[in-house]
Amino acid sequence: MDKTININLGGILFQVDEEAFRILRDYLQAINNRFAHLQGGHETIEDIESRIAEIFQSQKGSAGAVTKENVESMIGIIGKPEDFDQGWPDQPGPSISSQKKRMFRNPEDKIIGGVCSGIAAYLDSDPVLFRILFVLFTAFFGVGFFVYLGLWIALPEARTDSQKRSMYGNNYNPGKSDRKTDENSLVVSTANYISGYTSSSKLGNAINEVFRALGRVFYIVLRIFLIIFGVALVLTGFLAILLFVIVFIIRYPGAFSFDSSGVNLIYLKDFLNYIVNPAAVPWIIILSTITFILPMLALIYWGVKMIFWFRARDGVVSLVALVVWVMSIAALSIIGFNEGISFAETGKTTIETVLPKSQDTLYVMTDKKIADLKYDKQFSLPHEQYSVFLNDQKKELYIRTYFAVERSDDKLRRIEIRKRSAGHTESEAVNKTDGLIFNYSIKGDTLFMDEYFTCPAGRKWSADNVGIKLYIPTGTIIKFEKNPRVLLHSSFRNEDDDYLESSWESRNSVWAMTDNGLEPVTEHSSKQK
Amino acid sequence: MDLENNKAQMRKGILEYCILSVLSRNSCYASDIIKELKEAEVIVVEGTLYPLLTRQKNAGLLSYRWEESQQGPPRKYYELTEEGRKYLTELDKSWQELVESVNLIRTR
Repeated sequence: MDKTININLGGILFQVDEEAFRILRDYLQAINNRFAHLQGGHETIEDIESRIAEIFQSQKGSAGAVTKENVESMIGIIGKPEDFDQGWPDQPGPSISSQKKRMFRNPEDKIIGGVCSGIAAYLDSDPVLFRILFVLFTAFFGVGFFVYLGLWIALPEARTDSQKRSMYGNNYNPGKSDRKTDENSLVVSTANYISGYTSSSKLGNAINEVFRALGRVFYIVLRIFLIIFGVALVLTGFLAILLFVIVFIIRYPGAFSFDSSGVNLIYLKDFLNYIVNPAAVPWIIILSTITFILPMLALIYWGVKMIFWFRARDGVVSLVALVVWVMSIAALSIIGFNEGISFAETGKTTIETVLPKSQDTLYVMTDKKIADLKYDKQFSLPHEQYSVFLNDQKKELYIRTYFAVERSDDKLRRIEIRKRSAGHTESEAVNKTDGLIFNYSIKGDTLFMDEYFTCPAGRKWSADNVGIKLYIPTGTIIKFEKNPRVLLHSSFRNEDDDYLESSWESRNSVWAMTDNGLEPVTEHSSKQK
Repeated sequence: MDLENNKAQMRKGILEYCILSVLSRNSCYASDIIKELKEAEVIVVEGTLYPLLTRQKNAGLLSYRWEESQQGPPRKYYELTEEGRKYLTELDKSWQELVESVNLIRTR
């Protein structure tokens, strides 16, 4: 009776002998472990504590220290937590103790996530062994680290008594047997788990301490890493959704056009009406929204979870979301396939016309210009210079033509109009090209042509394109309209030969066909001629 | 067959019914309930009672108020709610039925 400790129990101050205190502390800890995780558990714990105080008071009055005998008789009255089972229907009775063993994370002996001691409990082994193994394997390209993370996520924590029971399997000894063997020790359930499985050697204990210290450092580093990662996830998801809203819902003009020829996604939805069966359009919109938004929401949610490190019963919701997502992708694929087969084959028609020739210079003038369509909705594919303009009133599509100039093998000037479309079959595709309207006319040495061709109302867009190729013999001068820059930059493109395209970059409006191909003619040299 | 286990299971089944019955006569402290239940040998250790009281309170069958006591901190004074009374009536009925069923089988 050398030392007493003051404790506050149920609002009353008690002096407790040192030995009595140890027993009492273990007992309260056991009660806490038993109820803390249950609904209303804290209230139960408080009630029991007040009752303990009441018993001590009735035994001692307010004078003198609480002795070991007081504590033991109190425990005799209130009972050990494992004896409470009698009135706790949620808990399986002790008779069902031979449960199937399962692997859990062990919250009672953990350094980081309790994975190692969980495995050890499952295999009736020492956690130190697995801790060393994980550290060793982390040296191999971090294998141990990732396996640990994976197990941490995959294994549930043993929180309830029954889970702990199945974690330890048949080796689990709830207090009773212990009481028989050691009458003095009132170490209760929690301590039992630990005593059985972590009573490692002294060396083991030392190693465990080192791991515990390392574990704390690791844990902090991991938390920082997770928070940064979580913030990145939340930002990514949030920005992606924001962009989606800006582009498709607010339809902020130019939100997605990086330059004049860049893609302009805001009209994708309108354009959709011309590409696919109109009945499928709402479905495509809904399904693609789900396909895109759901993963972004998941990113945000994971991010928030990582930042605040909370647990949630989100298994069912996540599963439902995943199923919905997979199903929308599947449905989208089916619709896409159905629509896609109408683009399966391409077909082309080519018409070649010989141009009259009265002098060396050929003039090329644009008739209808794309610039005049600027108030219409535009949908462009980047880098393809494939621009489609929607006319909502006329329900027509205007599409930019390709243009190229090549050397002709004979002395003739020729113009070749090549129309391409897609269809189920090649012959269908060829038939479809008839519907494309491209206007050009020839007056003397001047060629007038539109910058675009028309896909008339009621005709579904079929990846149509129209290419114009001018074949001119060597020595021919070709002179474009006053301001060829617009044309050169965006509408003139060689379908097959890329070398021409780079030469078109020059802002020259006068070109000459030489044996080496088309070359720019400066004003100076043209005056000389 | 484990006789003790069987008896414990039976007691367990009627324990909540007993608590409500005790409180139906008059409101009282937890220790009063314990005393009655112990006398009737329905419970062995007191710890059994507390989680049940918390649960019945959370289920709205019981309510409590704090009462000052002469020799210590205030104590919880439990009483049945209206819902608790209805619940008890139902339990009374099913207990009656149970007793009749068992008697019917035993005396056949």
